[in-house]
This record gives sequence, structure tokens and C-alpha cells, in this order.
Amino acid sequence: MEHRKPRTKGSPVSDLDLRGVSRWYGNVVAVNDVTMTLGPGVTGLLGPNGAGKTTLLHMMAGFLAPSRGEVLIDGDATWRNPAIYRKLGLVNEREAVYGFLSGKEFVRASAKLHGLPDADAATRRAIELVEMADAQDRRMDTYSKGMRQRMRVAAALVHDPAVLLLDEPFNGMDPRQRMHMMDLLHRLGAQGRTVLFSSHILEEVEQVSGTVQVIVAGRLAASGDYRTIRRLMTHRPHVFAIRSSDDRRLAVALMASDSVAGVTLGKDGLTVHAGDYGTFTRALPRIALDEGVRVRQLIPSDESLESVFSYLVSA
Amino acid sequence: MSDQSVIHDIGYQRYTGTRLGRGYAARSLFEHGLRISFGLGRSAKAKIFPWIVIGMVSALAVIVVAIKAQTGEMVLSYQDLPATISVVAMVFLAVVAPELVSRDLRNQTLPLYFSRPIRRSDYALAKLAALIVAVWLLLAGPQTLIFLGSAFTAADASGVGAEARGLLGGWLISAVYAMVFASLAVLIASIASRRAFAAGAIVVVFMVTSPVVGLLIALGEGRAMSQIAPMFSPFLLPEGVRQWLFGTSFDVGPYGPVYGLVTLLLVAGCTSLLVLRYRKVSL
Amino acid sequence: MALIATQSLTKTYPGGVTALSDLTLSVEPGIIGLVGANGAGKSTMIKTLLGLLTPTSGRAEVLGLDPTTAGGQVRARVGYMPEHDCLPPDMIAAEFVTHMGRMTGLPRTVARERASEALRHVGLYEERYRQIGGYSTGMKQRVKLAQALVHDPDLLLLDEPTNGLDPAGRDAMLTLIHRIGTEFGISVVVCSHLLGEIERICDSLIAIEGGRLLRADRIDAMTTGTDVLAIEVAEGTAELSAALAQRGLTATAEGRMLLVPLTEEATYDLVLRTVAELDLPLHRLDQRRHRVAELFSTATPTPSLEVSHV
Repeated sequence: MEHRKPRTKGSPVSDLDLRGVSRWYGNVVAVNDVTMTLGPGVTGLLGPNGAGKTTLLHMMAGFLAPSRGEVLIDGDATWRNPAIYRKLGLVNEREAVYGFLSGKEFVRASAKLHGLPDADAATRRAIELVEMADAQDRRMDTYSKGMRQRMRVAAALVHDPAVLLLDEPFNGMDPRQRMHMMDLLHRLGAQGRTVLFSSHILEEVEQVSGTVQVIVAGRLAASGDYRTIRRLMTHRPHVFAIRSSDDRRLAVALMASDSVAGVTLGKDGLTVHAGDYGTFTRALPRIALDEGVRVRQLIPSDESLESVFSYLVSA
Repeated sequence: MSDQSVIHDIGYQRYTGTRLGRGYAARSLFEHGLRISFGLGRSAKAKIFPWIVIGMVSALAVIVVAIKAQTGEMVLSYQDLPATISVVAMVFLAVVAPELVSRDLRNQTLPLYFSRPIRRSDYALAKLAALIVAVWLLLAGPQTLIFLGSAFTAADASGVGAEARGLLGGWLISAVYAMVFASLAVLIASIASRRAFAAGAIVVVFMVTSPVVGLLIALGEGRAMSQIAPMFSPFLLPEGVRQWLFGTSFDVGPYGPVYGLVTLLLVAGCTSLLVLRYRKVSL
Repeated sequence: MALIATQSLTKTYPGGVTALSDLTLSVEPGIIGLVGANGAGKSTMIKTLLGLLTPTSGRAEVLGLDPTTAGGQVRARVGYMPEHDCLPPDMIAAEFVTHMGRMTGLPRTVARERASEALRHVGLYEERYRQIGGYSTGMKQRVKLAQALVHDPDLLLLDEPTNGLDPAGRDAMLTLIHRIGTEFGISVVVCSHLLGEIERICDSLIAIEGGRLLRADRIDAMTTGTDVLAIEVAEGTAELSAALAQRGLTATAEGRMLLVPLTEEATYDLVLRTVAELDLPLHRLDQRRHRVAELFSTATPTPSLEVSHV
């Protein structure tokens, strides 16, 4: 997230800034005091169903006013600010698409709506960016789900926005389609765009971006790289799975170490709960060597996004 | 002292008992449909409408019995009754047929049925049968009440016998009404997946021909036109059959058998279309 | 006896769309993942296995029966859980599942008992006496599973069972499916797009693409070990790389990890010793395995040439 490579020479990058943003509907607080800054690169917006992800995205896109706080792009509020749409593109989760339009017509319509001076050129660029040039003249109702999604991304990119928001973009896609979409998002992020996509399928997020914003019941529970987030949870012992040439012997030796809180022996190997990450990770190789035990596998078992996420939700 | 402690196995049990066939499944669906029609086994709210209707027609029957007891006069014969409450029956259908049929379409529950041994035609026919029987019960119930009331106040055994014959005739006419009304209603409801539309459509189809038929009857007084026109109204078609079988309704001239045939064709036609309609539903 | 077997199974719809093309496969009982078949291919496959669709050519066999001729028998022994919403909101869960049990031929009392048990096994307790309309997505998915299970099928067809579930719900559902496939002794076919899920609970995999069979194999055959060892240290990666090189082990960097060739058991010891000598915090040591996802990254057709749906 630190490299700022402009997409084309001289085109600026944008920051998406939320300051103390809350949104309520009567007694229901959908978003509660969220502060975050997003820069260039791809970030995943994560949270259980109903956590407030879509509400946040809509506020970022200027469709909804925050009940409190500010949502800014490069210092300008997104609410009631049509000019912001020059910098912003949104791909919604569910959108009725006019099936009778060809892909090209659909993207061109978006270009015209943005009042672009050269709609055809912009359309061509956007379609090339999503690699849909071969199918652009076909009607959209002949497209597969993945293809339709890509066209919608093209329509959202036609005005070359610095910020792209996507709500559940991988919904229902098969593995191949998902890989293409992930690849596309990576490219867009590498171009210096600020890309935020929401998902509740951790497997998908893990593969696209290590950087996440986790929303739980309307509150921002954590931001950043999820592995680093895990290491910040110092009160939780780290869990490691180990396979060695002599599990029991190793287990006994590990229990002697202060850094180890507990050891479980299973048929698949050893599970270690390490209260002190730093000490344990240095001690393990030495202990194993001293005991003459060969370590074949050491895997941190609760560092996955799934585990980190479940810890955050239950916190 | 023996130790009586034990841990019981409440894990998943496989089933090796009897599995009954299509016929049983279809009968269960029929039973289920009948219960839905009268709001049984569902929330209190679902019972309100059917039981108000039942209350109304029962009240009518009670009044008829009361008058008979007082004055000895039968103001409404067994065979008159269905015609008298036919509009109520239509309203009942307009509410119940969608409950029975449109809901499964709307909720997309059909794949759960069709992924089972039951066939699509079984499903359609079971629903149709349930509705026919529901309407028949609605019409035959009051008839039976009248019979019971009359039987108690009858002069002698032959009086009861006469009443019984009258009741059977009444039941037959109720059956004709039930078949005509229900087969139309279920077909309509199976096409409209929104309950409100289905209800409205049923009412419209039942009543749309009435003004024209009424006009033709008035214009063609005593001639062929007034004898044939009633065939086109669902309310009058069964009455035509009644005239053919018992001679107790309006004049149909020589066209009695035609009424019978048209009824048969209508019911068969609606049934076939119904079965066809469910063939088209995709899993 | 194979659980499911097909021979040159082909289905072309009027209008020219070929949903399945010359599919020949055979899977053993167990938990099978069906992946990649989006839209037309998947639903055609399911309908064919249930005997609701006749193939254009070729044959299929489920539990030793031909669904085209013995459809009713097949459906009596198979339980199906659709992807979409299909439950009536105004019925009580226990009553609905009982009704479905009777639809598959269970006598009245048996249906009631098995419905209650099925709901308990899927994790619905006192909620089963409430109306389905008030259920959360997770609970509804469980009811769908219960109605597929109530008649004790030999095979379950589950279409995207974790659809719409949040991570905790997803986890619970996968654990449940795994239990059903292993403890209950019922074979399961799970349709899913998520390879992580499939790798986690399935023993075999069927991958269909563009109507054709991409691969049908056991998962452990597809996730064999490679001759690459991955090492990750929380700090000092460059130091480690240099030290390993000195000892004759060339390391390639990949993100935070170092990859070294794994040619003999002694490599493990060498790596461990090097790490210990440098007093580096060892975070991960793991033989790289092949992943199911590799199936889809080779010879990737361009996105605009995908087969459209029916």
C-alpha cells in the first residue's frame, strides 16, 4: 500500500477517508463510529452478514449520507457531490442489466452518462482492461455470470476513476471466473487505483488481498494485514501444528519451555499453544535438535483469515 | 449390586422399515391439501376465512331446518342449495385455491416434491382432488345438516327415506358443482404464482361470462339461445346438468345431454391442462 | 459398485446449447465435490441423476440404477438440497419435514419421528417447532438439509450448501456434511465453487467445464506433495537465504517465504539447524503440496469465450 504508482503519467491517486462515520435507522445502528483511510491497492472489506458492509459502501459511494462523521475522497465529501463521480466507480452486488444491450453498448451508455468527451475511446479502453473485447458485440443476456460482472466493472471504470468500490464481486462465480476477476482487481490495484471489495467468503478475500478492514456489527474491528493482526492478538496463544519423527518426545520437551502454554497429541501430529510467540518460534528448532527429533512440518494453524476473523468476531 | 448405568446410542439411525409407494405419497398430499383448505394444522389466522364460510353456510342450513320445523315448508330443496351458495363457493375457491397451489409455485417448493418418487401428474391430481373434495364438503355439509334436521322432524320412516333420496340427489349436484368449480380454479391458480392475482383471476373467469349469458337468455326467451347460452357460465352449467338428470332446474330443451358432455369435457380439459402445466415446471 | 457412473453422457437442449458433452466418469462412495459446472452444466447433471431429464445420448447410473428407467426408485434413495430458497415460510419446520418424509413413502409415525431426529442431527432443537419464516439463513439451510435426510437416503445431492452463510455458519455446515459423509455412512455430492471447502471435506472431485469433464479424481491424488519445501521466518529471511546457499541449498523467495528443493529427508534437518544457528524465529516449515486450484490455472481460456448459460 505504500507504493503509489499513477495509472497514467500525471494522473493522481486518491485517498478514501472515513472519519467517525456512523449511520443509523431509528434504533438500528448499521455503522458505528468507523474511522479508516484507504489508499492505492486492493483492500478487502470483511464482515458477517448484516455487519454493515453494504451500508458503508453506499456511504462511500455517496448514495447514503452518514448520520454522523464524514466520508471524504481527497478531502471532498461524497454525499450530495456529483463531482465525486469523476473519481469514483461502484459495482453493486445486484443490478438489473438490460439484457438486450450488447456489452459495448452497455459500457458506452455509462460513458455517455459520465459526459465523457470521447465515449468510444473510453469504452474501448475499459473493455480492453477487463479483457472482454471478443464478446463486446454480443447481447449481455448471452453472457455468463462472470462475463456480465466483468462488463459491469468495465462500465464502472469507463471514466478512469481512481477509486473503485465493489460489493460482493465474486458472488456465485466458478473458480475460473473468480481467478480472472481476482487477477483483474490485482492489476487495477497495481495501477495505483484504490480498490475496495466486500465479501463474506474468507477464502476469496485471502487470495485477493492480505489487507483487510473487518466490520463486526457495524464497528470496525481491525484493519491491516491479517497476519499482522493475528500477531497483535498477544493475549491469545498462537496455535501451531507440528509433525515430527517423534511427536511425544518433542511434546514433553516443549512443555518444559515457558513459552508453551499447552500441548495436545493427536493422530495427525502435535498441536502447540504458544503463549509467547517470539520465544517459542526461536526455541522450537533448538529444542527439536537437542532431542534429536526431525521436524517435518510446522504450520501456524490459526493465522488464516478464517481464524483471525473468528477471533475478531468473538472478541 | 449390579450397575445399571448405560449410555444410549442416539446417533444417526438408518431406516430399514417399510417405504410406501407413490399411491401413499399422493394420498398424503391429498390429505395435506384438504387440511390446508380448511386451515387445519396452520396458524389461527389461516383458519378464520374457511371457518367463517363454513359458519355462514351452516347457518343457512339451520335456518332452513328451523323454518321447516315451524311451517313444514322446505324453502330450499337439497338440490337448490348449491345454486344458492355458489357465489360463496366461488369466493371460498378464490381464497383457497391459491393457498393450495400458488404458494408452492411462489416459494419454489416444487423441486423438493419432484426430486421425490412422486410424479408431477400425481402432484397435480392430488391437489385437484383435494380442492374438489373441499368444495364438495362445503356444499354437501349444509345439505347433510338439513337432512339431519328434517329426519328428526319427519313424520315417519318413509318420510326419512324420502329425505335420504333427496339428500343423495343433492350430493350428486354438489359433486357436479365441485368438479366444475374446482378444476377451473386450480388451473387458474397454477398459472398465477401470486396469490392476489390468482384470486382475482378466478373471480374474473367465473363471472366474466355472466352478463353476456344473462343477456342472451333474456333475448332468446324460450328459444334455443336461452337453452344453450347458460352452458358458458360456470354457475349455470351445473344447473343445466341438474335439469338433464332430475328436471328440477331451468329449461334446457333437448340440450340436456350436451350439458353433461360439456361438463365432462370442461373438467377433463382443465385436468389435462393442469397436468401439462406441471410438466413444464423445471426443477 | 460405483456410486455414480456415466458413459459418454451428453445433453443438448433444443436451441443448440450443449450443457453436457461426452461425460464419462465413475465415482466411489464417499464425499464428492462437483465443481466448475456453472448454470446449465450443473443443473443438467443434477436433473439427469435424479431421472428428471433424459440424456440426448450416453448413459448414467446412480446407485446401480438407471435414472431414465428407474427414476422413482432412484429418487426414493436420493436426497436433494436445492441451492435456492424453497421453504414455505408459514409452516412449522417439524411439520414441513414430516410432510416431506411422507412424500418419500415413510408411514405417518415414522415420518414424524425421523423428521424430529433429522432436525436434531442438523442442529435445530427447540426452534424446530417454530415457523420457518422466522429462521435465519443458516437455520433455513439446515432445514433444507433435514428434508433431504429425513428418508435416510443412500446419496445426498447438496447444491451450494454454504450459500449465503457467514464464516461461522459455513464452518458449521461443512463440519455437519463431513459428519454425515463419514459417521452416518451416507454418500454426499457437494456442488460448490469454493475449492477450499472442497479440499477440506471431500475425498473425490468432479470438475466440469464447458460441459466437458475437466477432471475426476481423488482429492489426495490431486494434492500430492511436491519436491519443494517452504520455509518462513518472522524475520531475517535474507540472512537465512544466504546461510542456506552457503550450505548448498538454493532458496527462491516467494513473498515472505523461501522455497528450497526437497530431495532427501536430511534437508529438513539442515534447514532446522541453520535456523537454530542464526537464532531466527521459525514460523513455518511445510512441504508444498499440489492444490486443486491448479486445475483451473492451466490453459486458462480467455474470459470472453466462456459457455453461456441456458
